[in-house]
Amino acid sequence: MLYELAQSLTSGLLIGGALAVLSVGFSMAWGITHVLNVAHCAFAVLAAYLGYWALNRWGIDPLLALPIMLPAFFLLGVAMHTLLIRATARRAHDLGLATMVLTFGLGVVMENGMLLAWTPDPRVLKTAYSALTLRVGPVIVQAPHLIAFGLAVITIGALYLFAERTFMGKAVRAVWQQPMGAALSGIDLDRVTTIAYGMAVATAAVGGVAMSLLYTFDPATHLSWLVYVFLVVILGGVGSMLGSALAGLIIGLIIGISSVFIPLAWNNLVLSGLLIVLLLLRPQGLLQR
Amino acid sequence: MTHHTSRRQMLWAMLGAWIVALTVGACSQAPAAPAPTTAPAAPTTAPAAPTTAPAAPQGAAIKIGCSLPLTGAFADTGVWVQRGYEQWAEDVNAAGGLLGRPVELTIYDDESKTENAVNLLNRVISVDQADLLCGGYPGTAAAAQMAVAEKNQKVYVSMGGHMASFSQGFTYVFGAPPLMGQWWYEGLYGWLASLPEAERPKKAAIFTINNPVGAAILEPMPEELSALNIEIVVNERYDVPLTDAAPLVTKAKGAEADIFFANGFFPDSVQIVKAMRALDYNPRLIAQGVGSIIPAWVQELGADGYYVFSGTAVHPSLPFEGISRLNDVASTKYNAPVAPIYFIFGYAWMQALQRGVEGAQTLDQTAIRDWLKANQISTVAGTFTFDERGLPPSYNYLTQVIDGKVELIWPPDVRTKDPIYPKPAWGQ
Repeated sequence: MLYELAQSLTSGLLIGGALAVLSVGFSMAWGITHVLNVAHCAFAVLAAYLGYWALNRWGIDPLLALPIMLPAFFLLGVAMHTLLIRATARRAHDLGLATMVLTFGLGVVMENGMLLAWTPDPRVLKTAYSALTLRVGPVIVQAPHLIAFGLAVITIGALYLFAERTFMGKAVRAVWQQPMGAALSGIDLDRVTTIAYGMAVATAAVGGVAMSLLYTFDPATHLSWLVYVFLVVILGGVGSMLGSALAGLIIGLIIGISSVFIPLAWNNLVLSGLLIVLLLLRPQGLLQR
Repeated sequence: MTHHTSRRQMLWAMLGAWIVALTVGACSQAPAAPAPTTAPAAPTTAPAAPTTAPAAPQGAAIKIGCSLPLTGAFADTGVWVQRGYEQWAEDVNAAGGLLGRPVELTIYDDESKTENAVNLLNRVISVDQADLLCGGYPGTAAAAQMAVAEKNQKVYVSMGGHMASFSQGFTYVFGAPPLMGQWWYEGLYGWLASLPEAERPKKAAIFTINNPVGAAILEPMPEELSALNIEIVVNERYDVPLTDAAPLVTKAKGAEADIFFANGFFPDSVQIVKAMRALDYNPRLIAQGVGSIIPAWVQELGADGYYVFSGTAVHPSLPFEGISRLNDVASTKYNAPVAPIYFIFGYAWMQALQRGVEGAQTLDQTAIRDWLKANQISTVAGTFTFDERGLPPSYNYLTQVIDGKVELIWPPDVRTKDPIYPKPAWGQ
């Protein structure tokens, strides 16, 4: 029982990191730019495919492809915000709902584009370290899980430092907390929200690569990944980077613990019960006041 | 910018979406490939293409209609069923037609939605007034369409929707062959029974996807394993998407199970196999549900996916007449290495319908039904007789992935390679 618990907790914790990095951009985009980007995970799956492609076509590890993907996804996000989101914002009565519909359509287009490009066949990322493990006492840590967790720590840590230590980061936080006040202080709302949105889409690339280290994927996978994102955002609170990190880890731990003590089929019941309670008691998420 | 829908409302909506996603995941039925107790015998009449030019079909075309998932979630396999149907129509017309008349197929796209499949079959019957029906796909659509066909007293040949769909008292439906979760491991049970008891696994861990396909596969397992003196030490169900496979593997490892059943689909089973390797759990035998017989298993998982046992109701290496020709057609027409399973299924279902029409010598549906229930028929999937439910005797073949190919293991008369058992260590 002790071995099972230790193994499941370790595995769950590391997977929680991947869920966190997948979700942080979605949460940022919603919190800061008020865009409900339900195509967020379609971008993540696109990154997973690009990583898979880089590895199988050119022998480039997806982690090494990330430095190219990150600026590309950032620019993609900037372009999307400039061309689509702002135009929608000018006409929309309810930005959240309007962008949800818009990005849902975008997600469908992206899914079909990926179907054409890569067929519906499921893919498995097999890197040089896919089968590597690290033994800590009786517990075995899988290298892909550890790397996905590392990607989460680096990405969320970098976002946190950006928000805390840079002028632009502080501007982003100001827009998140009080958009009107930020505008009155001379912050260019359009510029800040566009940059924040670009960063959010860039994090989808990291999230996609992290998830592809752990899970199989196909063009339709973005919908099941989006489910995880919803969970993290409900628990972590909208717009909170540290909240996303904490929520991802908690969800991983809950799954790990409940898998040991109760039948596996009850995992989601436990998780949804906890989330309902949380939404009733702390709808703003764990860390927000 | 105004934000009328509050975040709180949105968060509740997300939670609702998650619960809906879980429900849909639990109810969805992915393409399944089950197994039998006695394998169908080789056909007595050859379904191969004619060698001498027959008379061209004459008269009004016989209209055959149905719907298939040509777009959406099941399109990948639905298109192969369609190709099987079309190949059959091409062959029949080239061989002089059905009852001397040409056949004309109308296949609607149900977009992988069961409600569309039902509506479209109603349209085929009442608006198009088709003479014959072709079967739908996957099991959920077929099960729903079976009720429509029965209500309209139309013969309906398809894979069905597992045993429940054939237990409704319907008389016009046939599984020729069916795709039956309950029969999935029939070949495995047969092969295990052939081993000396000392060589059989002793303790089984069973993990089953929490949906109708998983339930169908799991249903007979306790009784069958008990008959083989294999103790079930873990028996759990899991929801998809499977977040973490490590708890499953640690439970099986902790219980020292030496036969591991992963009764699931491709994504969850890949996760499980990867976790088994990572956690250095190497039971004597791994049996898997639906995932390991699809080409992606070997292409994507590589050697980690080797030596896994599974089941199937049809296979491109079966010795039945007509299969080698379908392999050639798949290769030349569609650039496929061998005939995909659902190509063979589609062709076989239409052949079964053809045998009924030719046997009854009429398009009268009741006459076709009665003839099929009273006679043995041959198809590329084997020779079948049908009981009152429209089912052949239970059967399924045992397969094992060996050196990157899905080989037939059991029954012995269809074996393409000797099984590798116990499973070699990971990486060997």
